[in-house]
Amino acid sequence: MMEYFLLLISAVFVNNVVLAQYLGQCPYLGCSKEKGVSIGMGAAVIFVMILATPITWLIQYKVLVPLGLDYLQTIMFILVIAALVQLVEMFLKKAVPPLYSSLGIFLPLITTNCAVLGVAIVVQRESFDLGTSTYYAFATGLGFMLALILLASIRERLEISRLPLSMKGVPAALVLAGIMSMSFMAFAGMI
Amino acid sequence: MASMWKEFSKGLWAEIPPFRLMLGLCPTLAVTKSANNGLGMGLAVIFVLALSNAVISLIRNIIPKKVRIACYIAIAASLVVAVELLMQAYTYPLYQQLGIFVPLIVVNCIILGRAEAFAGKNPVHLSIADGLGMGIGFTMSLTFLGALREVLGYGTLFGHGLFGPDFHPVHFMVEAPGAFVSLGLILAGMNLLSIRKALRRGENPADNPMPGCESCRGCAMGRD
Amino acid sequence: MREILKMIVVLSAICGLSGFCLSYLKQMTAPAIENQVLTYVQGPAIKQVLTDTDNDPIADRKKFTNPITGKQINVFPALKGGKLVAIALEEFGGGFGGDIGVIVGFNVDSDTLTGIGVTTMKETPGLGTRTAEPSFTKQFKKLPMHVDLKSRGGQIDAISGATISSNGVVIAVQNAAKVYEAIKSEATKTWN
Repeated sequence: MMEYFLLLISAVFVNNVVLAQYLGQCPYLGCSKEKGVSIGMGAAVIFVMILATPITWLIQYKVLVPLGLDYLQTIMFILVIAALVQLVEMFLKKAVPPLYSSLGIFLPLITTNCAVLGVAIVVQRESFDLGTSTYYAFATGLGFMLALILLASIRERLEISRLPLSMKGVPAALVLAGIMSMSFMAFAGMI
Repeated sequence: MASMWKEFSKGLWAEIPPFRLMLGLCPTLAVTKSANNGLGMGLAVIFVLALSNAVISLIRNIIPKKVRIACYIAIAASLVVAVELLMQAYTYPLYQQLGIFVPLIVVNCIILGRAEAFAGKNPVHLSIADGLGMGIGFTMSLTFLGALREVLGYGTLFGHGLFGPDFHPVHFMVEAPGAFVSLGLILAGMNLLSIRKALRRGENPADNPMPGCESCRGCAMGRD
Repeated sequence: MREILKMIVVLSAICGLSGFCLSYLKQMTAPAIENQVLTYVQGPAIKQVLTDTDNDPIADRKKFTNPITGKQINVFPALKGGKLVAIALEEFGGGFGGDIGVIVGFNVDSDTLTGIGVTTMKETPGLGTRTAEPSFTKQFKKLPMHVDLKSRGGQIDAISGATISSNGVVIAVQNAAKVYEAIKSEATKTWN
């Protein structure tokens, strides 16, 4: 039990996917202008990660490894994730329209979110089992959402303050991310 | 020839990624702990980008419009697997250093972004020029950022000591926060240059904001 | 209908063609990749255990069949003046976070250990990973090849707080000793 709690703390705070592992920068900087958008994007990323990680795990251990094709990992994973995102989008549109209207617009943006593919590859390199992989994917997604919402909250404030024109937008967001990343480094002492 | 030079040279300064064309930020932040890693990552990206641009442009008339993004992803992913195999075979230490960011070249917006914005519409020779130019620009940026962080953070450049024993390295620079802050300040510097230029021409600088990740249409899977 | 057919044909053509090219490339690079992995992953450990040699153990490696598992394994020889003095091979033992890979060197004349070097492990940083450090691995030097933990009447001090990892290393060495005994005569014939 303790082990799972430590994994959660590690994935959310200590090895935060955006602030320590540098993954998913595009949505992190692109979707952090408003808090509402950042919550939607974060939820969609968690959703897709929880689906994509066990599926790619099964493909790796039930298809690629037995056939000796594990060098095709990258190409299989990205095609599966792209197809999965399309399927999820179609399914949500038909079956759960309210969820689609809140998450749907973010789904297409996720295919090329390197955090999703990144987590799928990381759990292979760490050789986690299926359950731990899915749990780790959830925790990583949670860490992504936390970082995104925090940055969006700060940037909403920053919009109404006076900044030099050259710092406005992405440069300011990056410097902020740096400061956040520094404060997240303090969590390293926790485990 | 002139048009090829134009497509090639725009990637070197006017649209240099990721400083002006903000594509591919993840590897930019992650692998620039040293100039060497930045250079290695850049070379891998040049290989994938130039070849994917060439192949996509070559078969651009055969690819059905509806599945073009899927085709682009498949081509880019194959080239990335090729790079992975070649790096394992000939530069294994670099392959270990770059870690998961080698397979992640496939989701580097730069590849899909150039495929969608350029190679899918232009003839082969121009697409190769565009891919090489953008790739070399990306490599220069990564090597520059890597060198900056390495010099300040370790006091070395390409692994060679610069300052002698009295130098106290700023460890901040080679940790994650240093990556974010130094990239942010470089982008601000680039902004400052283009704002000055716009003002000199008598334009309103706010009219030409830098294209961000939103400009990567590949993210939208080809839908608008 | 025609459009959908075209979509499927083009997509599968691209995937098929790239799959074909990649499998060709994979075959082309396989020997080079094996060399690189041996040089950079096993290489440092091999240099540690086969110190007294005038050949390149990695270049002179040969494949033997592991009599216990039936799998092919690499065996690295240390030659001196054209005579085989020691061989090294890699074996595995279960640790705290998966298998620990250990390169074990054997002196062919005296059947003692020339040393061990850890190649791969996923142990807890600061605890289990200490089994890869010289303070632990130097205990094995010059011991007779059948080793065990002190808690089981052997010669090896386990690292306190990392008993499972220490045990994993010892199991790997024991496994390697079994393989060594089985292939020794074949190996001396091959290289002498």
